[in-house]
Amino acid sequence: MTFESPIFELRQVSRTFGQVSALTDVSVMIHAQERVALLGPSGAGKSTLLNLLNGAIAPTAGEVRILGHEVRRLSPRQLRQVQRHIGRVYQQHHLVTNLSVIHNLNAGNLGRWPLWKAALSLVWPQEVATAAKALAQVGIPEKLYARTDRLSGGQQQRVALARVLVQDPIAILADEPIASVDPARSQELMNLLRDLCERTGKTLVVSLHDVAVARSHCDRILGLRQGRIAFDLPTAQVTDAHIRDLYVL
Amino acid sequence: MGITPMAEGLGPARRWAVAGMAIAIAWSLYQSGLGRQPIVNWGGMPQFGQFFRAGLRPDISGEFLALMGRAAGVTFAYAVCGTVLSLGLGFVGGVLSSEVWWRTLWPRRPWAGRPLWVTVRAVLAVPRAIHELIWGLIFINLLGLDPLVAVLAIAVPFGAIVAKVFSEILDETPPEPLTALGMAGVPPIQALLYGLLPQALPNLLSYSFYRFECSLRSSAVLGLIGAGGLGYEMLLSLQSLRYEQLWTAFYTLIVLNGAVDTWSALVRRQLGLTSRLALNLRTGQAAPAAGESAEHPNAAIAPDPAEFSVALPWGWLSAGLHRGLLPLSAFGVAIAIPLCFWSLRLDWGQLWTAQTFQRLTEMGRMGQPPALTLEQVSTLARDASQTVAMSILAIALAGVGGIVFSFPAAQTFLMPGGVLRPVATSSGGAWVAAIALVATRLVLLISRAVPAPIWALVFLYILFPGLVPGAIALAIHNFGILGRLMAEANENLDDRPVRALRSLGASSAGVVLYGLLPQNLGGFMAYTLYRWEVCLRETVIVGLVGAGGLGRLMTEQLSSFDYAGLALTLGVFVGLTLGVDLISAGLRRALRS
Repeated sequence: MTFESPIFELRQVSRTFGQVSALTDVSVMIHAQERVALLGPSGAGKSTLLNLLNGAIAPTAGEVRILGHEVRRLSPRQLRQVQRHIGRVYQQHHLVTNLSVIHNLNAGNLGRWPLWKAALSLVWPQEVATAAKALAQVGIPEKLYARTDRLSGGQQQRVALARVLVQDPIAILADEPIASVDPARSQELMNLLRDLCERTGKTLVVSLHDVAVARSHCDRILGLRQGRIAFDLPTAQVTDAHIRDLYVL
Repeated sequence: MGITPMAEGLGPARRWAVAGMAIAIAWSLYQSGLGRQPIVNWGGMPQFGQFFRAGLRPDISGEFLALMGRAAGVTFAYAVCGTVLSLGLGFVGGVLSSEVWWRTLWPRRPWAGRPLWVTVRAVLAVPRAIHELIWGLIFINLLGLDPLVAVLAIAVPFGAIVAKVFSEILDETPPEPLTALGMAGVPPIQALLYGLLPQALPNLLSYSFYRFECSLRSSAVLGLIGAGGLGYEMLLSLQSLRYEQLWTAFYTLIVLNGAVDTWSALVRRQLGLTSRLALNLRTGQAAPAAGESAEHPNAAIAPDPAEFSVALPWGWLSAGLHRGLLPLSAFGVAIAIPLCFWSLRLDWGQLWTAQTFQRLTEMGRMGQPPALTLEQVSTLARDASQTVAMSILAIALAGVGGIVFSFPAAQTFLMPGGVLRPVATSSGGAWVAAIALVATRLVLLISRAVPAPIWALVFLYILFPGLVPGAIALAIHNFGILGRLMAEANENLDDRPVRALRSLGASSAGVVLYGLLPQNLGGFMAYTLYRWEVCLRETVIVGLVGAGGLGRLMTEQLSSFDYAGLALTLGVFVGLTLGVDLISAGLRRALRS
């Protein structure tokens, strides 16, 4: 799936929370099938940027376009239509832990399902094949009917990823997906994320702390510092000096 | 929370709260007239003794037992139907008065829902403030003697109470999964269905079981106004001075209550739920999600529950029930609900007849509040202060008694392997502990199973009418309820600090004072203050049997069809309840600080 227009477009966007300004005058364009890493020290505005990209918050100034739609002009209903095409993986997973995995996966279908089907599925799971396939893709097919709180943290992260696969969005936003995982598993998880995006042609925006992972898994790096864009370059052109300046105290 | 160390450790808010409570208790004691006027009526002693002696030889003739069985069935059916309706009403009301519902519905305008849920909460405060018995009296005037009266009298106030608690549960459930779904473009209702309800469900279910226990007690009380069932039989026996029959009814009620309480406790434990009322404490901690309670901090160290059950004679039974309990319960509930509705033959058409409507308009017309005379105001003020004093005395007694009994009544304390007996020393000690456990639990069960008005009638033999018999009756009933809640809190305690104290050689008393009370006292105070609100509502029902306060005034007004006066008294009462509600919430907040 290719779009003529960019997937995400930010024009001179600022966002303040009360007195604190989280982002100042940010302009970015992200096109289909790009893999973009957000780097920057804590508090640089990475999460705010991700929240703007899926319409979770609106900008204080400037213009945010998602799939060509200006966010502030959308009715809540239209916004939901747009948000269905943007998947998100949270650091804390945000799964419903006392439901079994199948229901957490089917939560990815809820944007399309009518209410009766959603309710029925809690009693009699619907579209099991899709869910099972997604779970197989993240490597834990045997956990389909396990209770989510019985899974390890890494497995829960995989369920969260599989939920996004069921949702089948155009773009995936991931907020520090490997911040609480050990190095071996974070490599594995990032490989999975990269391969899934490559295979299905999805756009990926991922905030990271690990510079090496950003270099190895993304083709573009966006450096954020104090709410402003420090650099926005293809990975090959990012030098150690860029990184040093980004994190200098 | 709950640590009461040296004075400098107390924040100013806490110090004021403690001082305020001490003054309130002193004032209530003064109001009761203790030491200023005769309290005990020695002339009633023989009758009092006669009453208790009858407990040893209840009427167990086949005919009377059959009557008791039918009466118990009616009481049970009222409780089931009342609970089902109140849960239905409460769920709808709870969703509508929760913040999270409106915020999910209108994510972009979080302020827009605020006036709505605040309004729903305010409207629900009125039915909540009026006791089931008063609702029963109102419905009797509207519908005549009809099974519908008892069911509605439970459903209306309990529906409002359930709505309040459900809305709190929904609002305190972690919202992140819900938000995540909302941000993925899921419509609000589907998002609530998948993101919030499954997480809240264990707490909602747990509270529903507790409500059923309460409904059963209320259903017995409603019998006293003529609605049938065990309460009605008790009243008939008491009025005709047939104490043997009265005791048979007591025992039936105790067995019924005990069975329901035990079943509810077993099911809740099976569901992995430890406390029913954790949320009512509003301690500011999030309620434990089902997943967390499975990994309770002391789960790893606490002796396996099976270890305790060995010492209990019924241990093998509970172990056997373990596997089949949940499916059996679900099946039983599915059968019992339609059966109870069918057996009562509720005639809903009654609600829409012209006659009902006519009575309603008549009551409305006659209930116009009159111009107040100075005398009325002083009567109301006197009775209102009596009512408040009665509730304070009752809850203070109940709270202290409950704390004392909560320790021997907790399974995890004296039993071998419990925190006070880390190793089983001798098998003889185990039996003593088991007997103490069973005995204290039995005392608590009897106290809460017998309706407060019956306790009041019994104490009126030896006490002059007034505040004291009412306070004692309420104290006994609430002591039974609080003691059980506190014993459960003790069982759920994080026992690591306690075991540490034990291993450094502290005595049992030392362990209680330094390890147990400091951890739980805050929770106990919160339970007690929460129960104070309930206690105030209940002053009405002991007042109805002549124990003083606004309840007595209401009885007089009801029997003389003085609806105008009654409306006024009810108004004062609702005001008092809301006031106590606020003070209790404020005190709980202050004690937490």
